[in-house]
Amino acid sequence: MVTPSADTSVSNGVYVPGSITNGDVKPAVSTTPLADFLMQLEDYTPTIPDAVTGYYLNRAGFEASDPRIIRLISLASQKFISDIANDALQYCKMKGTASGSSRSKTKDKKYTLTMEDLTPALTEYGINVKKPYYFT
Amino acid sequence: MADPAVSSGGSLNAGGRGSGGKAASSPAENYHLARRRTLQVVVSALLTECGFESAEKAAVETLTEMMQSYITEIGRCAKAYCEHTARSVPTLSDAVVTLIEMGFNADTLPVYAKRSQRMVITAPPVTNHPVAPKALSAGQKRTHPAHIPGHFPEFPDPHTYIKTPTFREPVSDYQVVREKAASQRRDVERALTRFMAKTGETQSLFKDDVTAFPLIAARPCTIPYLSALLPSELELQTLEETDSSEQDDQTDSENTAGNGITDDPGADKENSILPPSGVVPSVKVSEDNVIDNPYLRPVKKPKVRRKK
Repeated sequence: MVTPSADTSVSNGVYVPGSITNGDVKPAVSTTPLADFLMQLEDYTPTIPDAVTGYYLNRAGFEASDPRIIRLISLASQKFISDIANDALQYCKMKGTASGSSRSKTKDKKYTLTMEDLTPALTEYGINVKKPYYFT
Repeated sequence: MADPAVSSGGSLNAGGRGSGGKAASSPAENYHLARRRTLQVVVSALLTECGFESAEKAAVETLTEMMQSYITEIGRCAKAYCEHTARSVPTLSDAVVTLIEMGFNADTLPVYAKRSQRMVITAPPVTNHPVAPKALSAGQKRTHPAHIPGHFPEFPDPHTYIKTPTFREPVSDYQVVREKAASQRRDVERALTRFMAKTGETQSLFKDDVTAFPLIAARPCTIPYLSALLPSELELQTLEETDSSEQDDQTDSENTAGNGITDDPGADKENSILPPSGVVPSVKVSEDNVIDNPYLRPVKKPKVRRKK
């Protein structure tokens, strides 16, 4: 089992392992870092409660023997959403400062997540959303 | 489990919870909706962490839906991986491979986990799991015989493989049947007489009270003794049958008598009108024997002409 090394990047939602681009094969690294991380997870509680994640995993047929795996998965999904939210924030900030508004104070602290920001952020991940502006 | 320390942007919360509970009716739905709402709260918390102050409802819904399907997909994929290797319990490796397959950089997880985490959401308060409604069962299921291991599924309801006729066997006890027949006849007679009394003419038994005991009014016939004189249909038939056997004996005598009568036309007409007593029954029989229906006529024997 090959664990991806740290210098590979995620783009377009497709994970490209570094070995393919470089042409040489990276040595297989075991999952011990994550296994160690799993030990640390016992103390840490992710934002999503275990019951909720466990509920959705059970609906998919996944019955976890170890509650730490549930925490790992909930953490992963949190990070997934966080990354998208951060990208949307970048878009929001870009739109704000691109018009050349006042630089003295930072752009007003109130950022609102709108679909206009979210859509291009999701497009980078390969997710295309089209929401109708109105409902008839 | 999670400590009860809920903290999230107020506006985010209001925006997030507005869409949740319109048509929740069954406990299963409530169960599902509660968790969905929790996910929405989580998404709102994450957005607050990023720095957003508020969000569009549609955006929060989108992210919630994405999160739910992401978790579901990880579960499904991890289960598939684990079963692919002939195991049944997923392990950490299955989860990691799943994350890799979904394009997730698992190395960044520890870094992310150690961020200044501040928000912890309480679990939804619903504690009882909605029980799947049991299928209607009628009767007791059969227990497994000895040769079937215990972990096999149960037998189905007995009505699925046992056929019971829906009719009851009719009672054949003589006494019961007699009683039934007698009571039925009595009821029929009573019902029929009542019906005739109600629809036809009635005579009352009591002078004052007309409706108490209605009797079916008798219809007087003009000639009461006529029915005694006329033979009934059945009697007519039996009469014909017996007479047809006598006709064979009398055919020749009739022919000779008839010839005798025609040979002597000059004889007294009264004599011919008043046939001799011996021929009376034959004439009457001949009148009765002339029936329109050819199939009902008696057999005619060919006339044997004796050459004189």
